[in-house]
Amino acid sequence: MTAQEQTIQARVHIQRYNPDVDRKPYLQTFDVPVPQGMTILDALAYIKAEIDGSVTFRRSCRHAICGSCAVNVNGKNMLACNTPLRTVLTKKNEVTIRPLSFQPIIKDLVVDRSAFWEQYLKVKPWLIPPENSGPKEYRVTPEEVKALNRAETCIMCGACYASCQVVAMNRQYIGPHALLKAFLRVLDPRDSAPAERLELVSGTDGVFRCHTIFNCIDACPKNLNPTEAIETLRKLTQRRLAFEKEREERQKTL
Amino acid sequence: MADLNVITHDILIVGAGLAGTWAAMSAGENGVKDIGVLSKVHPLRSHSSAAQGGIAAALNNVRPVEGTGPRGPLEQIPPGDDPIDSPDLHMFDTIKGSDWLGDQGAIEIMVNEAPEIVYQYERMGCVFSRTPDGRIAQRRFGGHSVPRANYAADYTGHVLLHTIHEQAVRNGVKFYAEWYCLDLLVEDNVCRGVVALDITTGELYLIRAKAVFFGTGGYGRAWKITSNATANTGDGVAIAYNAGVPLMDMEFVQFHPTGVYGKGILMSEACRGEGGYLRNVNGDRFMENYAPDKMELAPRDLVSRSEQTEIEQGRGVGADGEGIYLDMTHLGAEKIMERLPQVRELALNFAGVDIIDAPAPIQPTAHYSMGGIPVNANGQVISDAEGTPVVGFYAAGECACISVHGANRLGTNSLLGASVFGRRSGKAMAAFVLSGAALQPVDEGAVKKNRQCISTLMDDSSINGKKESPAAIAEELKTAMTRYAGVFRDEERLTLACEKVQELTDRFKNARIMDKSRRFNTDLLGAIETEHLLTFSKVIVNSGLARTESRGAHYRTDYPKRDDEDWLKHTMAHKDSNGEPELSYKDVDIDWDRYPPQERKY
Ligand SMILES: Cc1cc2nc3c(=O)[nH]c(=O)nc-3n(C[C@H](O)[C@H](O)[C@H](O)COP(=O)(O)OP(=O)(O)OC[C@H]3O[C@@H](n4cnc5c(N)ncnc54)[C@H](O)[C@@H]3O)c2cc1C
Ligand code: FES
Repeated sequence: MTAQEQTIQARVHIQRYNPDVDRKPYLQTFDVPVPQGMTILDALAYIKAEIDGSVTFRRSCRHAICGSCAVNVNGKNMLACNTPLRTVLTKKNEVTIRPLSFQPIIKDLVVDRSAFWEQYLKVKPWLIPPENSGPKEYRVTPEEVKALNRAETCIMCGACYASCQVVAMNRQYIGPHALLKAFLRVLDPRDSAPAERLELVSGTDGVFRCHTIFNCIDACPKNLNPTEAIETLRKLTQRRLAFEKEREERQKTL
Repeated sequence: MADLNVITHDILIVGAGLAGTWAAMSAGENGVKDIGVLSKVHPLRSHSSAAQGGIAAALNNVRPVEGTGPRGPLEQIPPGDDPIDSPDLHMFDTIKGSDWLGDQGAIEIMVNEAPEIVYQYERMGCVFSRTPDGRIAQRRFGGHSVPRANYAADYTGHVLLHTIHEQAVRNGVKFYAEWYCLDLLVEDNVCRGVVALDITTGELYLIRAKAVFFGTGGYGRAWKITSNATANTGDGVAIAYNAGVPLMDMEFVQFHPTGVYGKGILMSEACRGEGGYLRNVNGDRFMENYAPDKMELAPRDLVSRSEQTEIEQGRGVGADGEGIYLDMTHLGAEKIMERLPQVRELALNFAGVDIIDAPAPIQPTAHYSMGGIPVNANGQVISDAEGTPVVGFYAAGECACISVHGANRLGTNSLLGASVFGRRSGKAMAAFVLSGAALQPVDEGAVKKNRQCISTLMDDSSINGKKESPAAIAEELKTAMTRYAGVFRDEERLTLACEKVQELTDRFKNARIMDKSRRFNTDLLGAIETEHLLTFSKVIVNSGLARTESRGAHYRTDYPKRDDEDWLKHTMAHKDSNGEPELSYKDVDIDWDRYPPQERKY
């Protein structure tokens, strides 16, 4: 066995809090053997199964697609399931795991995401299709799909939201996750309400609040670019009328 | 009872994956206003989002370039040119894939509704990949004789689920996110409601409904190496069985050929659909010896068995020789980045391999549950071989068995089946409710009974003997199921599996959890889920032991041939008064003129 393959010992500090019994959150430390390939989620599962069944966290898919498992690790937000534990250990083989910021804690690493989802609903995340719906698919070119910049692959994990300095200061801010969704719909040639959408995101809690700090880009486990999306929405808001005309023409040929 | 929380709905839907969400949408569109959807994870976390490769439908958007062979490039079909695909061909492929255990009437409905439901997804906002002229892009998939997997790169399930969820929210469907269904109330073959737990508060509820729908997903978590999400613990299947509903064809579990080595996380079949090779330790494309015609694109049961044979004969790769190489290095970076971005990321994260430069080690992984709650093509649950319905109870998706997948599901047919039959169930439930169905009386003691079970799991003083850990029992079960009820089975192994399941079931009586709190108690849910795993695993191994033939995914080394004489029939398992599965059989729906059983060769 090479040194690389050997199991090492890690000290995993987890923030614990059950509001029914604890006055405030505290850190608890668990010793975890780390075989090669162990993810943060594997470590949490190990602790839950072998040491303390009351350690509470969300997870489901195990491969970065369901969006359940985002947590704060050593101060950065990331998915527990696709992050190898070894990559986040300090020199002393320690790591600290806390719940995502800016949201009330339900228990341990589980946060109340109500506000997060409310903002998502605010932008009307669904497509509003045009009236001229034929029996088959709308024609959308590969280039038009490309222009969406993979925004449709956002898994709503909330890592960006919990990293955003604007959310930190103002919980009314729509937030990078929801604005990325708004971008997706506005750029989708099939959508028939881009004007209404731009209106929705151009208020005081919308795109003009973004301070372009880029935290959301750093945090996104899917390598998406909410900042650029917000930037695009800003520009479109500014040249909305001309844009709408363009779209009207385009929809005639879908 | 003072502390009884009661909720009522016209229709209660358990499960917010594709099946459940379609059921809710279509019940709403067909005139029912009062619909509640319960999901133990937030709806968008449902496992449907993990589907990668595509959804099947004969759209005739692309065809192979002439003269380039079965693995050659594809091109869009120019307007006016002859179609290459049809629902009939889709039907035949599905029947053949099912090893003739699929019910042909239901399959016909599915393939006929396929194009329209895929178009509907598109018109609701799904961001599909596209052909140069803007139609939905299609790729090849195993067992399908033409390219008919409609896809959104390699996150098809994700975009389908988000799209349909958003539209359901738009239509005003009420979701109960993070609520856990504990129990189904059926009496005199009439369904009356469920008992559910609000996970966040720990509060129990009696939910009464005129119609109850289960879209609770598959049961792949009973194996150690599995592609399934942690939520796929077959809850609905076990709960229905405990309520007296039979389970059908539970022995049929699909092992997908390409799970990440040692982890089981899926590398989509699209890897092979786009041209990936399987190689053994000598670098040979061994599929030549098993399916010379279809090669890597033979159906999953066959490819998994071929891999397992290579492994058992000492030609495997990896530290313990239990793996096979999936080689995509010849596809080139551009194609991989465009069509398989998620797979590349998965291989980087979970296998430490960049598939652009090197082959990824993979192995067969438990993937899809063909068996489940028996239903007819309107989603109505049936209670016997004659098809007698359980009044007011419906199911679709992976927890249900119609059976459109028979002994082996073809890739991309399950997103389709969950959508088509979810939608049909919604329509049927709406008709049932609007025809004057009433809320039925329920036994309120059911809540008390469930509360008691929870208390027992928390009560260490009630242990008789050694205290057991639910998590440890689940681990032992998964190891046994992998070893004894996996890709290859025989009498000896299945008997060992039966014994192990029984031992663990007995030991579970002393299982106690560590977390004694009410709020968001996932320790408790884990224990309940373990009990479900034990419940349906017993049915799987008993059904598998009884079926002395090899068909589709159920492969017995001691009975390596399909036996139509004795076994062209569905297994039905009822829970008898001793809690043991009692097996009976149901005829397969076969159109003897059009699609009589043939030898299944690829
Ligand atoms: C990795 C992977 C890739 C796949 N790729 C493809 C593909 O490319 N093409 C294809 O056709 N198929 C694919 N499949 C299969 C397909 O994804 C599933 O069969 C299908 O999505 C199942 O949908 P469903 O609606 O039945 O269940 P799910 O989407 O699994 O949803 C189940 C729902 O039930 C809820 N639930 C379960 N138990 C309870 C309970 N006790 N109380 C409350 N709620 C409960 C869950 O919260 C969830 O909302 C893939 C499967 C996997 C594992
Ligand atoms: S568990 Fe699904 S994203 Fe991590």
